[in-house]
Amino acid sequence: MWHLQRLLHSLNSAVSAPARNPRMAVVIGRLLGAAFLVCFATGIYSHFIQEPLPWMVFPTRPIWLYQVSQGVHITAGILCFPLLFAKLYTVFPELFSTPPVRSFRHFLERASIALFVAASLVQIAIGLLNTYQWYALIPFPFRQTHYALSFVIIGSLAIHIAVKLQTIAQYWSKKNSYEADGVTLVPAVNPHVSTSPDKPPIDTQPYAGITGRVVNWIEATPQPAPAPSRRGFLVIVGTVSAALVTLTAGQSFRLLDGTNVFAPRKNDVGPNSLPVNRTAKAAKVLQTATDAGWVLTVANGATEKSFTRAQLLAMPQHTVELPIACVEGWSQMATWRGPRLRDLADAVGAKPGDSLRAVSLEQDSSYARTTVFPEYVRDELTLVALEVNGETLDLDHGYPARLIAPGRPGVLQTKWLSSIEVL
Amino acid sequence: MRKVQIGLIVLGVALLAVGGVVLLDDVAPKNYAAILLWFAGAIILHDGVASFAVVAVGIAMRRLGRSFRVPLGAIIIVQGAIVLGAIMALIVFPEIIKKSIGRANPTLLPLDYGLNLAVFYAVLVVATGAALAVYFAVARRQKVRPLDSHA
Repeated sequence: MWHLQRLLHSLNSAVSAPARNPRMAVVIGRLLGAAFLVCFATGIYSHFIQEPLPWMVFPTRPIWLYQVSQGVHITAGILCFPLLFAKLYTVFPELFSTPPVRSFRHFLERASIALFVAASLVQIAIGLLNTYQWYALIPFPFRQTHYALSFVIIGSLAIHIAVKLQTIAQYWSKKNSYEADGVTLVPAVNPHVSTSPDKPPIDTQPYAGITGRVVNWIEATPQPAPAPSRRGFLVIVGTVSAALVTLTAGQSFRLLDGTNVFAPRKNDVGPNSLPVNRTAKAAKVLQTATDAGWVLTVANGATEKSFTRAQLLAMPQHTVELPIACVEGWSQMATWRGPRLRDLADAVGAKPGDSLRAVSLEQDSSYARTTVFPEYVRDELTLVALEVNGETLDLDHGYPARLIAPGRPGVLQTKWLSSIEVL
Repeated sequence: MRKVQIGLIVLGVALLAVGGVVLLDDVAPKNYAAILLWFAGAIILHDGVASFAVVAVGIAMRRLGRSFRVPLGAIIIVQGAIVLGAIMALIVFPEIIKKSIGRANPTLLPLDYGLNLAVFYAVLVVATGAALAVYFAVARRQKVRPLDSHA
């Protein structure tokens, strides 16, 4: 009997650990909610910069805008792993709430939570796997699904906050959450019984009836000290988060490059000391990009001019410091050299408000043709780059010529240029 | 509060609708089965596997702690190390596996993740040991001079 009591008590206290209380759910929930919103905002920015609506204009300064926004997107996404697990841990007993469904309202609530949890887990998992380019595990279009799920998650978040608003308000500040001895305060207002993370902790409410006497007997052994356990929980969440940022964020933030041991990309690794996303071989341009007869055609209606690489090199050359920043979150500053895009546009009489179409030698890719909006065309930092980091552009970085503009994602910095058309 | 709740629910339902429309619009129906499979997998892995593993570890730690009269602080330190090690494995193991299967180019997954993880675990073990040593030293001092804590 005594053993049974011990075991049942272990099970009980493992489920109702001191870190599992509404205050902790609010504390972790705030952090996770913030991380979700940061991911959503930066994700939306990245989406529309790739698929802009007709009226949209994007800033070209600061030059690191996209680099930082996408670096934050990926880093905050990685941080969602410990935060989401911590949040789920704090409300774990909810899984076993009995009866499983009490009313239609309760059913809706549980269904929306199930959708929220599943969408969040899927979102961060496919996001991480996409940065590893493990496409075989994602047998659906990643970008579209990731985009659709982001609305599902933020919508579920809004509903979740609405349902839990009373609890969130009560446990928002610490002084309203715990008694002097560290025991969690019972909800002051009548909480809907269905929200059982708000259920008062067992040690404050004796149970009645035969089952109640059994439960009380199980709980007769002392509970772990609440305050140190809670502090310990927060310290663990903080330590895991700090470790993840320290050991992975170096792919996006140069400051942490020295401690980048787990990110899928490493600064300075690659041809021209830069990582590569799509190689010349993968883009099937090995022949066309090395063809001695290569010319860059610049066209404005009937006006058409062709430039050999030597002719491009003979134009006024400019050197700019711009980051290459991938949608996958990695980025690196580089020194680019070549003629300005606007000089080439002007050579065929483009007007200041004209957009350009940059066409790559690459054949079957949705990014083989990109539109360059006037704010980028006219920017003095936008180049048709022929050299990078003091060397001739490597074939994998877009030789013979590529686009580089401030504040644009890497996929739009068209490599292996074949023609530029004024629209 | 009621107004805020209603506003949030309206906003939430609207965003869910946007998500649904985007999914129906941009993702071909042939992909829905795979997405559903991912959702089901997430629920099963979390609710059915990970949750129970966490509870089992929690119970084991408590029982061990009680059998050997390990103080709560020491248990938390060890639990923290286990959690850190597990989450790092979750992030890094897929990199090791993907790299061994093959990658698009050598600048993707360029590091020796297995070696780095081993070094990380070695550092974690040493750091955990050091934290436990400090914890027990402080606890012993407080026990020897219990009045100090009230000073």
